[in-house]
Amino acid sequence: MLNFELGPPPSPAPAEHAAAAGPALRVRGLSLWYGRRQVLDALDLDVPARAITALIGPSGCGKSSLLRCLNRLNDENADARVSGRVQVGATDAYAKDTLVHDLRRRVGMVFQRPNPFPLSVHDNVAYGLRLLGLRRRRELDRRVEAALRAAALWDEVADRLDDSAFELSLGQQQRLVVARALAVEPEILMFDEPTSALDPAATLRFEELLRELAARYTVLLVTHNMQQAARVSDFTAFMHQGRLVEFGDTDALFTNPRERRTEDFITGRYG
Amino acid sequence: MFSEDFVRAATRRRLRRGRRFALFVGLGTGLVLVGLLSIPLFLLGALLPGPALPPAFGAELARLLAGSLRAAVCAMLVALPLGFATAAFSAHFCAPRLRAWLKPALEMLEAVPTVVLGLVAAATFAPWLKLHVATLLAAIAVVPAVLLAAGFALGARVRDAGRLPLALLPLVAATLAIVLAIGAQRDAAAVVPASPWNAALVGVALGFAALPLVFSLAEDALLLVPGAHAQAAFALGATRWQALTSIVLPAAGSGIVAAALLGFSRCFGETMIVLMASGNTPIGGFDPLAGLRSLSAELALGMSEAAPASGAYRALLLAALVLLLATVVPNLLADRVRERLRRRLAADARAA
Amino acid sequence: MNRQRTAAAGTWLIAGLTACVLGALCAFVVLLADAGLAPFWPAAVEAVRLHDGREQVGELAGGDAAAIVLRTSEIERIGDGYRRLPRAAIAARTRPADAIALTLADGRRLFGRGGPAQAAALLATAATPAQAVDLAQPNALGALARLGAFARGVGRFLGTPPSASSLIGGVLPALLGTVTLVLLMSAVVLPLGVATAAYLHRRRGAGARVLRGAINMLAGVPSIVYGVLGLGLLVHGAGAGIDRLFYAERLPMPTFGSGGLLWAALTLALLTLPVVVVSIEEGLARVAPSLGEGSLALGATRDETFRRLLLPAIRPALLTGLVLAIARAAGAVAPLMLVGVVKLAPALPLDATFPYLHPSRQFMHLGFAVYDSALASADAIRGVPRAYACAALLVAVVVVLNLSAILLRNRLRERYRALDF
Repeated sequence: MLNFELGPPPSPAPAEHAAAAGPALRVRGLSLWYGRRQVLDALDLDVPARAITALIGPSGCGKSSLLRCLNRLNDENADARVSGRVQVGATDAYAKDTLVHDLRRRVGMVFQRPNPFPLSVHDNVAYGLRLLGLRRRRELDRRVEAALRAAALWDEVADRLDDSAFELSLGQQQRLVVARALAVEPEILMFDEPTSALDPAATLRFEELLRELAARYTVLLVTHNMQQAARVSDFTAFMHQGRLVEFGDTDALFTNPRERRTEDFITGRYG
Repeated sequence: MFSEDFVRAATRRRLRRGRRFALFVGLGTGLVLVGLLSIPLFLLGALLPGPALPPAFGAELARLLAGSLRAAVCAMLVALPLGFATAAFSAHFCAPRLRAWLKPALEMLEAVPTVVLGLVAAATFAPWLKLHVATLLAAIAVVPAVLLAAGFALGARVRDAGRLPLALLPLVAATLAIVLAIGAQRDAAAVVPASPWNAALVGVALGFAALPLVFSLAEDALLLVPGAHAQAAFALGATRWQALTSIVLPAAGSGIVAAALLGFSRCFGETMIVLMASGNTPIGGFDPLAGLRSLSAELALGMSEAAPASGAYRALLLAALVLLLATVVPNLLADRVRERLRRRLAADARAA
Repeated sequence: MNRQRTAAAGTWLIAGLTACVLGALCAFVVLLADAGLAPFWPAAVEAVRLHDGREQVGELAGGDAAAIVLRTSEIERIGDGYRRLPRAAIAARTRPADAIALTLADGRRLFGRGGPAQAAALLATAATPAQAVDLAQPNALGALARLGAFARGVGRFLGTPPSASSLIGGVLPALLGTVTLVLLMSAVVLPLGVATAAYLHRRRGAGARVLRGAINMLAGVPSIVYGVLGLGLLVHGAGAGIDRLFYAERLPMPTFGSGGLLWAALTLALLTLPVVVVSIEEGLARVAPSLGEGSLALGATRDETFRRLLLPAIRPALLTGLVLAIARAAGAVAPLMLVGVVKLAPALPLDATFPYLHPSRQFMHLGFAVYDSALASADAIRGVPRAYACAALLVAVVVVLNLSAILLRNRLRERYRALDF
């Protein structure tokens, strides 16, 4: 799978911060093309388990595209071509015998704008469980409640489970989408600028939720908001033009970047 | 965490269900494909050597083709002017409230079964037309002339043309009433049609049937032209009419051609109106006042009589093939034209 | 200034032509409503006195500048009572209150003047005896009684089968035939349409493009060609095959080998398939792509996303497409003439004997009744009003279906306002 023909070898060394249990997600030499345009260029990244890793970088640097490679959502795009390795836990994501839909269940994803299904609150959360064949009402109810509690939404929606999901506020909808992803028991949660549609209060609420989730899940957070990355993440990866420029402990990266480009970006000189 | 076994069992179940659904999709699509392909293949089968065709088959086919053509051309003479005028008005001048009624009304007309229009033509319009061909011709000449004259004299005073048709309805009705009254006073018909059921009658009914299609396609084409084009013309001091004729119409031109092609194709293949209003007499030539028989009517009447695998049956299949080609080719052409127009105007809109 | 005037003249021309279209539409609606309902009003009975002293009693059936046509008593058979009376020969026309109209069981009408005794005498004048089913004095009816007679007429029209000549009686079998046909067609076209849309949804390559193009092309094929296909492939091909295999003992009497409900339904299903597929595709195009992505990201396959999320979400679009398909099918007459519609079917396709639905039977159809009554009936003066009545009913059915489709579409828009991101 490795592609040696294109581009120089990856510039930065993989971070040595990997947690003791080993990285939850290991990316090696990942390149991505949409048609003839190369979006990712031989990218290496280790995402530590049970921590929040923020992905920052100027718009168009390939942050969102990277996420779509990790759960193979790019498979749905006929133009997309991928080379390289992605390892989720012990599974090689792009191996022939990997079941894509099971991979996607294990790597949950939350999008920029809340996208609840046109179903009731309860059925939104139960959607993934029903896909897995869970039918018994009592078990469904139990798991839906657990997911909603984990997404810090239960207290607000406990008495309106049968209402349409569209009647919730935007912030609640986004947490509902998180609950929907949590219900199918993922290992990794990816967030693609999850607060860009939310107001400041809802954003703060959502960031609290991210911190709570980090205790149990590996969280990968794409954000264009430097303060948010600094506030909530444990590790930060800075990407530029489809490559990983720098990866490190968030505090270290923001106070003492090793690379000139990183410094320029976080001090607001471009982006 | 879900257990490995649970996930594996769920996967097996889902794959099984997925295969069942894929089978359903495959079967359904397969049936549709069979249906799609069977139309041309079945008709092409008539080209294979088979029972001898009836004598003079070629001449008969030519007469039927000429009949279909005559009916379609007469219908276009009715549908195109009315359809284009209505489309231009609706897209460019119409007040939104009036348009909210005009469009659904024409959509409803499109849904009216053609057998009903055939009935009106055959039972109500034919007896009148038999005596009043000259009156009809006079009305066709006088109404536009009166409208043009009135517009020339008074039009400059009307600022907003949005509801003009409602205001003009009495004028049109009065003009028609006068023409009809004068026509009714004459004892003998000035122009005597060769048959009370003739191509002109078919044309009026068929044109009325094709009107909504021509209207909606032409209006779509006009609305595709980016509004910025017309705005630019207004900024240069053009009136709405000038913006329409100098900017919008040329830009939408090919779309309007496509509308005409599709309308023609619809008229060429229409059966019930022709069957009921044409007199069904196999007469060639191009006399709009003579009866005719079309390909479609011949099929509707002859097909169930002919014994399968006989020469007459094969001849009818060949006629159906000709009919299919004659309607599908304009359709294909229109699709190409419309696709090109859409792409070009989309590029224009991006540039604007 | 002249430029302005020319522009105004052009504007007035197209506005005036639009007015012509509007006027023609209104005239069409009025004509249809008027002529369609006219047969149900009790007709006045006229007594016409001629210059030579004779008096003719009957219903006014038509006329022109030179003469009037009066339907007088039909002594022997239906349609033999028409009298053409030159206007020059008429001394006086009156509508006497004591005029009586007697309707016989076979549809004949007898006219006379006087009371019950005269009615009995009138019945005796009929050369071929028949039961009297209705005795009325139409000229003496009040407004309310006329309304009652009108309502009874409509009820009889909708609720009874036609007589052997199909000139009188109701259109119940035609209405039932139309409805059964359309329902059977829906049962075929809906799964086919869904399957095709599912295929087009998950395959986006050249195959899907070709299929989509072909389905669009299908929409432009003249309806009579479908009839030819139905007759040639289904009736003569599949039908004859089924007969040889399963109904050999009844040959040469065809069972499925002649036109029937099943073949008509299949033909119409192919005819209306583009409507359903296009509606589903339009519905899918309106669903925001983020919805499908959300489902895929949860681990649903494309099929599962289509089946469990998208299809339920676009149910209104599906329903709209189906209603439009039904409206189109209800108005398609030409193909039916080749695949099994008849003037007078011996049995209904739907009845109380097992298996209740008889797909091999020939059937009656409202649209065909319009054509048949207008052009092929024995008594044109009765046939045309009857054709108008059938036409008004058919248009009413189609318009109601289309209106419900439009309402559904509007509701759909409301719903998707919430879905559009």
